[in-house]
Amino acid sequence: MKRFYLTLLILLWSILAATEPGETAAGKCVTCHKEKNPGMYHQWRNSGHGRSNVTCYDCHQADKNDPDAFEHEGATIATLVTPFDCSQCHEKEAEQTMGSHHAKAGEILESADAFLAHVAGGHPAVIVGCESCHGSKVKLDPDSPNKLSKESWPNSGIGRLNPDGSKGSCNACHSRHSFSKEQARQPENCGKCHLGPDHPQKEIYEESKHGIAYRTFREDLNMNRDSWVVGVDYYQAPTCASCHMSATRKQEVTHDVGDRISWTLRPIVSNKLDNWEEKRSNMTDVCLGCHQKTFVDGHYYQYDALVELYNEKFAKPAKEINTMLHKKNLMERKAAFSNEVDWLFWELWHHEGRRARMGTAMMGPDYAWWHGIYDVAHNFYFQFLPAAREYDDHEINAYIDNLLENDEMHTWLNRSNEDLKADIRSGKLPQVYQNLFNK
Amino acid sequence: MNRILNFIRGLLVNRISKFGVVLVTSAFISFIVLEFFSLVGIYTNAYFGLITYLLLPGLFLFGLLLIPLGWWRHKVTSGENMAALLADSFSTEDIQKRWRGSNLFVWLMIFTFINILFIVGASVRTLHFMDSAYFCGNACHSVMHPEWIVYQESPHARVPCVECHVGEGMGALVDSKLNGVRQMFSATFDLYERPIPTPVHRLRPSRETCEKCHWPDQFYGNRIIRITHYLPDSSNTPEYTTLAMKIDNEKDRNAGIHWHISRDHRVLYSSKDDAREEMVEIRVEDGQGAGRIYTNRRLKGPVETGKGLREMDCVDCHNRATHRYEDPSKAVDMAIVHGDIPAELPFIKREALAVLTANYPDKSAGLTGIGQRLEGYYTAVEFPTSPGDVEQAIVACQKIYKRNIHPLMNVNWNPYPDYIGHQHDGGCFRCHNEDLVDESGNHIPYDCTTCHSILAWDSPDAFQFLQAVDSTTTDLHLHQYLQREFMKLGK
Repeated sequence: MKRFYLTLLILLWSILAATEPGETAAGKCVTCHKEKNPGMYHQWRNSGHGRSNVTCYDCHQADKNDPDAFEHEGATIATLVTPFDCSQCHEKEAEQTMGSHHAKAGEILESADAFLAHVAGGHPAVIVGCESCHGSKVKLDPDSPNKLSKESWPNSGIGRLNPDGSKGSCNACHSRHSFSKEQARQPENCGKCHLGPDHPQKEIYEESKHGIAYRTFREDLNMNRDSWVVGVDYYQAPTCASCHMSATRKQEVTHDVGDRISWTLRPIVSNKLDNWEEKRSNMTDVCLGCHQKTFVDGHYYQYDALVELYNEKFAKPAKEINTMLHKKNLMERKAAFSNEVDWLFWELWHHEGRRARMGTAMMGPDYAWWHGIYDVAHNFYFQFLPAAREYDDHEINAYIDNLLENDEMHTWLNRSNEDLKADIRSGKLPQVYQNLFNK
Repeated sequence: MNRILNFIRGLLVNRISKFGVVLVTSAFISFIVLEFFSLVGIYTNAYFGLITYLLLPGLFLFGLLLIPLGWWRHKVTSGENMAALLADSFSTEDIQKRWRGSNLFVWLMIFTFINILFIVGASVRTLHFMDSAYFCGNACHSVMHPEWIVYQESPHARVPCVECHVGEGMGALVDSKLNGVRQMFSATFDLYERPIPTPVHRLRPSRETCEKCHWPDQFYGNRIIRITHYLPDSSNTPEYTTLAMKIDNEKDRNAGIHWHISRDHRVLYSSKDDAREEMVEIRVEDGQGAGRIYTNRRLKGPVETGKGLREMDCVDCHNRATHRYEDPSKAVDMAIVHGDIPAELPFIKREALAVLTANYPDKSAGLTGIGQRLEGYYTAVEFPTSPGDVEQAIVACQKIYKRNIHPLMNVNWNPYPDYIGHQHDGGCFRCHNEDLVDESGNHIPYDCTTCHSILAWDSPDAFQFLQAVDSTTTDLHLHQYLQREFMKLGK
């Protein structure tokens, strides 16, 4: 009988506890939004949040002093849910994200990419293009119903600069209002931004053995499991998340996408990142879930050599020529990108140069070669160098001549077919590149 | 009797006057006979009204005109003077001058008097007939057919059209007859739109019409309505949405939805064009003319606002109180609720909806198609069905189809918006939304429980939210909130 009264007491207490104002607000939110936005309601209801009783109000509640707070049906709320909001429960994840390269994506506004979009494109193109992936600096508008300016809302860019000072948007990968881990593990999720001429990671993945296996076995990957350890909970194929973020037998899941990346393939000339050895060993650990050590070592041997090839043969000389062109003030128009040679150089490293490096990193042969080094070489020899020569500067001409006549990687231009074929057969030509391996 | 016949014979001078006399006489006799039959109840078919009250008086008048016309022609072709002609046709005794006028004159006077009496009597009967719903629904055949069909199934089926569409007084009568002439013209020369647009400006003010029966001193209180929706599964599982509509309140007549038509204030609005779907401005004025103004912040620049400000009345929400066209899914749901379609027939919700919304070349193909498809489906799948169930479902579906689909008038499913409730974000949400704001940016309330409590929402339990709260479900907060909100109504 005592137990009965105790149970009754606990029951009463829990009913009372459940009558807090926040809970009433949550009930009210759900009532109207179920009618007004049934899709949103169903997404939330079937999400982990819905099932764990995390309500609208838990994420959207705001302090009256928050710059984006507004009164809505008797509650003070904000539309924007920032990493600070998510960190109430997901502290570690928010911290890792905010420390990652992803969170810095919004600072692109100061970069050449954004400059190009602003001058050659225009403000609307910057909003819908660059800022949709990179994240905008969220602007406020006191006349807007939710205090957010339409110029920066909606925006789920991954490096969004939020009014509360936080950087990023968890929603970039964990789309509202399902917040599905399954979705975050799909390669298509990353493919919102990681695709196209300048960084076709999605296309490279699709071309790779990994992508092919994923398409074949996607039903067998148990992507909705809480535990998702590569080689253990699934083994047929990895997705982007598997290699860059998800748990292995040794590592916990990380929300810092850079934790396993050893090279930066983004800049004109690639370099190995700080602590690259640790990062590479993190990635190797992922690979070992399914591959032998020799397989992994072989991959890195080939990958490193390709990056060095790109660096030494094309990127460094092109960079040097470009620097000279600008230093000597040879160009008619002074603004960046106002002369065609700027565009040629830009595409050389930013488009084809990245395709070659990324194609190699993720084992997409066509991207490594045809969309990659082939395009780099074509641009370098037959577009960029002729364009540079047009300025008819003796120093630049001398640099180019010296390169083509004395650098063994480039001397082929002035040799005969028979000669070259003989050198390929004999291994003499491949030998030229030997120093790029194990550099 | 002989003298009457002699008089009539005298009128028959040529084919025109002969035809006139035949028309007048036969129309007169037919009218009397048909009217007698109608009075004693030998026939009750309203279709006879079209003959008795429109055709026969028309023929009568036409014939009457032909008689003098015949005489005029007779005079022109013979070239003789009137006296000679009269002498030819009538006996000398009849045309002999007397103190009271000749016999012919007296007969003419008597017949004219009878004619006038008849014409007046017939006109009264004709006007009366034209006031009947049957006349409005059928005189123009196909044009009014869709409205006529849905009207007969509506809650106002016993209220004649003219009660709402014509109004009272001589002015309204003349206006409606003149408008009728225009309509006759457009029906004859095919100048009308298909479907017929809602005559928003021709409707009588609802204070003159609706309020004759639904006068504002009546109050309705909170009304519970239950909407049943059947799922397209094998057992046609019913789901209920139950709402407690806050229509008005016995303590405060100005509370609740009927606040909008309270005598203590006026609600005025202007909308973008005449569709009354997108609001431009809303004013709420108290008795003294002071009040609040809400403007639509979504609209930029000057907007065409139809006929300017309009005072809100019944039809702004109850715009389809009578001419109710149905949504196919709701029509099937209602037919199952009423037992017209057997709920036991597996997948009948899904199948009925499919056959009703399929494309058919014309109405008869639609009706046959419905029969063939349903029959075909239930023969092919071999579900255990009770005898007659499929046939019953076919008849019910055909009825729904006949009621709602009128290809000749381009009337397909849902030709007109229905503003009661808030289907497809219309109705209440035309004004109750976040875009209509006052000077300080406050919007007209639009939260769900402003107008109704919710007792069940697409639930197998019609009183879902009145049950004890299950703290393990995701809808815990929703349940709790709606339960408390309803409980507060009683306080």
